[in-house]
Amino acid sequence: MQRKKIDYSNEHIKYLKLKKTDKITTILAQIFLLITIIALWELLTQLKVLDPFFWSSPSRMFKTLFDMISSGSLFEHIGITMAETILGFIIATALGYFIAVLLWWSEKLRKILDPYIVVLNALPKIALGPIIIIWVGAGMPAIITMCILICVVITTLSMLSAFLSCDKDKIALMRSMGANKFQILFKLILPNALPEFVSVLKINVGMSWVGTIMGEYLVSKAGLGYLIVYGGQVFKLDLVMASTLVLCLLACVMYLFVGILEKKVRKK
Amino acid sequence: MSDDYLQLKDVSLSYHTKEGEIKALKNINFCVKQNEYISIVGPSGCGKTTILSLISGLLKPSSGEVLFEGKKLDKSIQIGYMFQRDNLFEWRTIYKNVILGLELKGMAKDKQSLERANNLLKKYGLYDFKDCYPSELSGGMRQRAALIRTLVLKPKVLLLDEPFSALDYQTKLNVCDDVHSIITKEKQTVIAVTHDIGEAISMSDRVAILSSRPSIIKTVQEIHLQHIDSPLKRRESPEFSKYFDNIWKEIDNAEKKD
Ligand SMILES: Nc1ncnc2c1ncn2[C@@H]1O[C@H](COP(=O)(O)OP(=O)(O)OP(=O)(O)O)[C@@H](O)[C@H]1O
Ligand SMILES: [Mg+2]
Repeated sequence: MQRKKIDYSNEHIKYLKLKKTDKITTILAQIFLLITIIALWELLTQLKVLDPFFWSSPSRMFKTLFDMISSGSLFEHIGITMAETILGFIIATALGYFIAVLLWWSEKLRKILDPYIVVLNALPKIALGPIIIIWVGAGMPAIITMCILICVVITTLSMLSAFLSCDKDKIALMRSMGANKFQILFKLILPNALPEFVSVLKINVGMSWVGTIMGEYLVSKAGLGYLIVYGGQVFKLDLVMASTLVLCLLACVMYLFVGILEKKVRKK
Repeated sequence: MSDDYLQLKDVSLSYHTKEGEIKALKNINFCVKQNEYISIVGPSGCGKTTILSLISGLLKPSSGEVLFEGKKLDKSIQIGYMFQRDNLFEWRTIYKNVILGLELKGMAKDKQSLERANNLLKKYGLYDFKDCYPSELSGGMRQRAALIRTLVLKPKVLLLDEPFSALDYQTKLNVCDDVHSIITKEKQTVIAVTHDIGEAISMSDRVAILSSRPSIIKTVQEIHLQHIDSPLKRRESPEFSKYFDNIWKEIDNAEKKD
């Protein structure tokens, strides 16, 4: 493999420098914006322009966080929510992928199930909340089920369309070399749809958080979603804000994780 | 050279769609000799690709039969098929692309076959690139890799469906030379479809001209040129333009008929 040597002209070095300073100023501006928001928020609540009872404030938020960390309850809630999200994410992705493969395999099945999938996709899954609670019971299983319901249909639809969009010539080529349907699936269709799979993973990271938190709003006795709902009900805005912040950070971390995975796949 | 290496006997084919029946081919008869290079030209949409699909076994004729050495063509007879685009798999290295057919036939561990693959890569200048991905190769090299991928399976007949039409003119002339020399060295029997009359004359021993749909074979033009070493040289032969005019008129007539 031929790699280009690093032997740039002056003009190109200037260009690279410009790009770099551009990046640095962007990041500085982002940090500045964050600090301003926090400072302004703190100031306005300290001066009682905003009532901290309704608006909470950064200092009260962090105090709540520290209290929860020192009592250890924060990690318990995080653990529960994380477990639900990750389980829901994995099950939904695997299940959706598997159904997509089945639907790719059988055109007949695809045609029969088409209207059902359309309806399932359009249905707001939260409407199924009460049914889920009755069928699987209130608690963790219900939350994970909610999470799966939210992710699975979109996974199936995205993957199926990726499978079906495979180049007809490539399939003909495989067949002209004597490939059977299994070989076409495993050597062509699945690897060909890998980039789409990574996009689906990215979408599902967001969706599975939505599913879990929605599930926790409905039924839970623990978890970040529970803290937010509970905080809202007893007007502890500090708790609501602090939990939301933690949620943001967690979603970020999970997103970064998938980002790394994506880079690995794209390298190929 | 046997006369009935590959034979199409009264082959007809209709496509059935919701809108109706499309009669693509009607009573096609022709023979291909061993080691011959035949080009098929004709108006667009006349059924050239359909003929190749029939020979490759991807389609079954509505009536008539395709015979190989006098026997009905079946899966045991390897037919190589190359398309307009090289269809290399971007996620596989060149080497992995080239041995794809071996994998499909469960011969990916067969020493002799792998050696053949490596030899072909060496012989045709791709060995240094065997661990590259297709995106790192030029259009001509990719087409060569695609050709090697089919040759690894030792096809009895090689089908080319406008394999050069995606290349720009300059590259195309070079790749034609390239492919022609590989095909001659490997003693392949070739049926090629093309829109380019010049390409057909410069590559082929015979050119079959199809009518518009439902297609029959109008004429088969034998090509005898003064220079025979390479397509580029063949284009310089004095008889070239005469053949060109002939074939061009035949196709033009076929198009006007409807
Ligand atoms: N799968 C199909 N279903 C229905 N009709 C088809 C199908 N494939 C081809 N046809 C029709 O059959 C006719 C012959 O098609 P074919 O692709 O063999 O033509 P061609 O000579 O290769 O055309 P081109 O010059 O555009 O490559 C065309 O009119 C086309 O519309
Ligand atoms: Mg065609």
